[in-house]
Amino acid sequence: MNRLKHLPTLRITPGAARSFTYGKHTFEGLQGDTVATALFANGVRVFGRSLKYHRPRGLYSLDGECSNTLMEVDGVPNVRTETTPLTAGIRVAAQNVMGRPELDLLGVLDAFSWAMPAGFYYRMFHRPARVWPLAIQQIRKAAGLGRLSPDFRMPGRFDEIYPAADVCVLGGGPAGLSAALAAAERGLRVILLEARPWLGGAFEYRAADDGDGVALHRKARDLAAAVAARPEIRVFTQAPAIGVYSDGQVTAFQRGGPDQSFDERYIEIRAAAVVVATGCGERPLLFEHNERPGVMQPACAQRLARTWGLLAGTEAVFSVGHDLGLEAAVDLFDLGLKVAAVADIREDGQDPTLVKALAQRNIPLLKGWVARKAHGGNRVTGATLTSVNGRFHRRLTCDLLAAAAGLTPATGPLTLAQSQLAFDPHTGYFLPRTLPKGLQAAGRLLGLESWAAVTASGRRAGLQAAADAGADCQAAIRESEAALRDLPGAVRGSKFVIAPGCGRKAFICFDEDTTVKNVDQAMAMGFDVPELIKRFTSAGTGPGQGGIPGHNLPLYVAQTGLSPDAHPRPTTARPPLVPTLLATYAGAQHDMSKRTPLHDLQVACGGRMERVGVWTRARRFTDDPRCRTEILNVRTNVGLLDASTLGKFLIFGPDALKALQRVYVSDMARMTPGRAKYSAMCNDDGCITDDGVVVQTAENDYYFTTSTARAGVTVEWFRYHTRYDGWCYHLVNLTDAYGVLNLAGPKAREVLSRVTTADVSNAAFPYMGYREMAIHGVPVRALRLGFVGELSYELHVPSSYMPALWDLLMEAGRLEGIRPFGLEAQNALRMEKGHLIIGSESEQRTTLHDVGLGFLWQREKADQRLVGAAALMQTERQPGRLKLVGFKMADPSGPPPRDGSPIVDARIRGYVCTARYSFTLKEPVGLALVEDGLAQEGARLAIYEDGCQGQLTHAVVTPYPFYDPEGRRLRQ
Amino acid sequence: MAFTITCPVCGPRDGYEFRFGGEDKGPRPEAADLTPAAWCDYVHMADSRPGVQKEWWVHRQGCGAWFTIHRDTVANQEVSLNLLEAAE
Repeated sequence: MNRLKHLPTLRITPGAARSFTYGKHTFEGLQGDTVATALFANGVRVFGRSLKYHRPRGLYSLDGECSNTLMEVDGVPNVRTETTPLTAGIRVAAQNVMGRPELDLLGVLDAFSWAMPAGFYYRMFHRPARVWPLAIQQIRKAAGLGRLSPDFRMPGRFDEIYPAADVCVLGGGPAGLSAALAAAERGLRVILLEARPWLGGAFEYRAADDGDGVALHRKARDLAAAVAARPEIRVFTQAPAIGVYSDGQVTAFQRGGPDQSFDERYIEIRAAAVVVATGCGERPLLFEHNERPGVMQPACAQRLARTWGLLAGTEAVFSVGHDLGLEAAVDLFDLGLKVAAVADIREDGQDPTLVKALAQRNIPLLKGWVARKAHGGNRVTGATLTSVNGRFHRRLTCDLLAAAAGLTPATGPLTLAQSQLAFDPHTGYFLPRTLPKGLQAAGRLLGLESWAAVTASGRRAGLQAAADAGADCQAAIRESEAALRDLPGAVRGSKFVIAPGCGRKAFICFDEDTTVKNVDQAMAMGFDVPELIKRFTSAGTGPGQGGIPGHNLPLYVAQTGLSPDAHPRPTTARPPLVPTLLATYAGAQHDMSKRTPLHDLQVACGGRMERVGVWTRARRFTDDPRCRTEILNVRTNVGLLDASTLGKFLIFGPDALKALQRVYVSDMARMTPGRAKYSAMCNDDGCITDDGVVVQTAENDYYFTTSTARAGVTVEWFRYHTRYDGWCYHLVNLTDAYGVLNLAGPKAREVLSRVTTADVSNAAFPYMGYREMAIHGVPVRALRLGFVGELSYELHVPSSYMPALWDLLMEAGRLEGIRPFGLEAQNALRMEKGHLIIGSESEQRTTLHDVGLGFLWQREKADQRLVGAAALMQTERQPGRLKLVGFKMADPSGPPPRDGSPIVDARIRGYVCTARYSFTLKEPVGLALVEDGLAQEGARLAIYEDGCQGQLTHAVVTPYPFYDPEGRRLRQ
Repeated sequence: MAFTITCPVCGPRDGYEFRFGGEDKGPRPEAADLTPAAWCDYVHMADSRPGVQKEWWVHRQGCGAWFTIHRDTVANQEVSLNLLEAAE
């Protein structure tokens, strides 16, 4: 198709061809095209088929207000081709089509629209109930937009940014641009969001002038250039706002492309003040077949020509309700379009210059006339016009019917910001009656039309927003208000919705195939307010989010006189105002984890690293998933574990002990210097949240460890539970500053004694002892603990010394057969010993008593207001709780059950926490949480495993620890 | 969480930086003579009344301080204490 050339308004680059495929065809578009305009340029008129009746649908607007031009692009369904820039090499396909869009086999459904009245989906298939699954299958096949396979993975690069500004302006038309400039001139930082790829709004393609001889597109571009030159203004184009919230929070997304670092990104802005200048769209005109391909909005036809150089037809009929429609008719005539007639809903009030311009071009202007019907199937072949009173008709031949009833303000952002909207009879708009603090509105959405008034209102709003953001500009605001008062105010607008005598095939909502007849049916059934009718007929609930019916539905409902509302009442808008990809909300997926100081050394030793919570840790060091050699080496020789992820804290100050008493269940006053105290923390429900050891290092000075998972919340926990007390203590989180090595095994002492001169004999450094020592000059906090059930030393050292200490110990233990062990070996070892991991052997409901640690609780410290004390008291003998038990398998030759497998007995009565084959005991053992009725020794547990086909395995409750129950090995 | 919160240490910040710590219900009750029901009330029950309430927040992604603010739960906005006193 030949493009119009040499228009100053064009946004395409002639000669910069971009080829792409559409079905079996290879087409060429130009740089600057959207996918939709490129298809249109190649003669595509039917873009897809409608949701319910499979009616052919074409280009209607250009900002993605309806689903007509949703297509599949590169395998991604429901792409808005009107707003998607054309890139070379893409594959485009029509969707919701059986066959070709021009010849859809399901198109026959349109003839049966009588069988699908409003709400038929809800009303027809529920009786008998067995019909429903069958019906839904067939309906799903025929209806719906786009297809997505269950294993679809969204391609593309997604990102997110969180910029801040003093003023955020929504809309890059003259009002928004003026507002941004006014605020920037006061020295404020401004963010401007514009949905289209360029600034200028509804003025940037208009060749008309305001009587001063300067074309509007020239003025718009000059203003845009002035904004681009201001360093204080950060402009985001192709970035529609999707949400407006309190305290100046605005959300948006931005389309990128091959030239940017993202394909789409989420933007969340925090501003001190917000200006909404989102302008107007055209309000659709309702008549029979008002959505045939070839029927489009006048501005759509005008922008096709002015921006993309495409004439939308050869011979056109216009049916309009505002001066912009007349202007479009004149403009398109001058660009080479034949115009058979222009019908104007208004009897009078037209701009005399436009009337004169039409007359000069011999274009008949029919005042008080309107389109009644579009003729043709896949393309419009003619139009019937009627006088507004319905008495006279005229049929004309045309291949383009440019129709709009009026204008509709884009008030979505105002609604989201909790602004009260009220119907204004003069403009026919829903106008903001109140604006919340920090929010301003400006421009065409207030009914203003002239360049001077729109820019003046933008300037006023920008200054007001600057004042909201703290700038001192009251005098300038008063000046701008005075200037605005001298300019033309809001323009009278049309309230007309539907041509007389229409309804059966007059579509109020294209996305959901809702006709005016459907609305009438809903009202006949008693749904009498727009919000309810919207739900029942689903008008406005489709991908366009009310872009097409949002304004017409309340106007129509009010005009029927059957609604209790005297004035039209708007339906609600909700975020996202523009449908947004879930992938965009998900944003950048940076998989970040912490590494311990020994990460590289462990990898070098063959460590299989794995993500565990916020950390990456070594799961094991061999190919054997059961870690036989690692486990046996700890039991017979000595092993080395990187336990750096443990939470490590200092607490000191005059009230440090009080704070410990508040959160630890034990009596922390009874601590002996040089000895570690094992204790636990509970929440207020008495449920165990953490365990660890505490040592007193000096008066009012303590060092304690928490489990890995609790390291991040411990400070918050202490502070929360002492927030009323005003205690004086300091907490220092040393988790990342210190690393921990666990040297464990019967030969651990030999290895340790080789690297330190400190006395590490059993007498000098007994079990549960705490010593500060030096290893080759490195300061070490050493704890003699036994998590894995063997003689072991937990060595806490500053992180930077960790690699050196690892090397020293590995070297020193060579004779003893030292080797590293990982999380899996530790898990099996500690389980054999009956030591718990909070979160494995407990869940949210598990109390200290349930896991058998009730003895840690020292109730005599009642005056400490211990967190969880009341619940510990109450649950101590409470029946019906899950208790922790040990078990062995009834058949010791079988495999251990998987962790998490339910224990059943007609119903679920517990679950397996951890179970492993014990290389020490040569049979599987495990820990489980079971109902107290099953918690006695010898009780038989039936275990259900995933995929067991009903074949339960059986276990017997056995006392634990399984390994070294007397604890001799820890103390040797 | 779209609103901003004024941290006593760091000043006004994005609400996402904070974690809610519940309505202000006064200090923890003494354990003596405390019934389980009264304890449960203290821990779990909230007034949830529309209007201005005093509540605890922690500046989790900032200084870590626990502090109270007054928030209008209907408008979902922090209310400055000075304004409150002026209104009373």
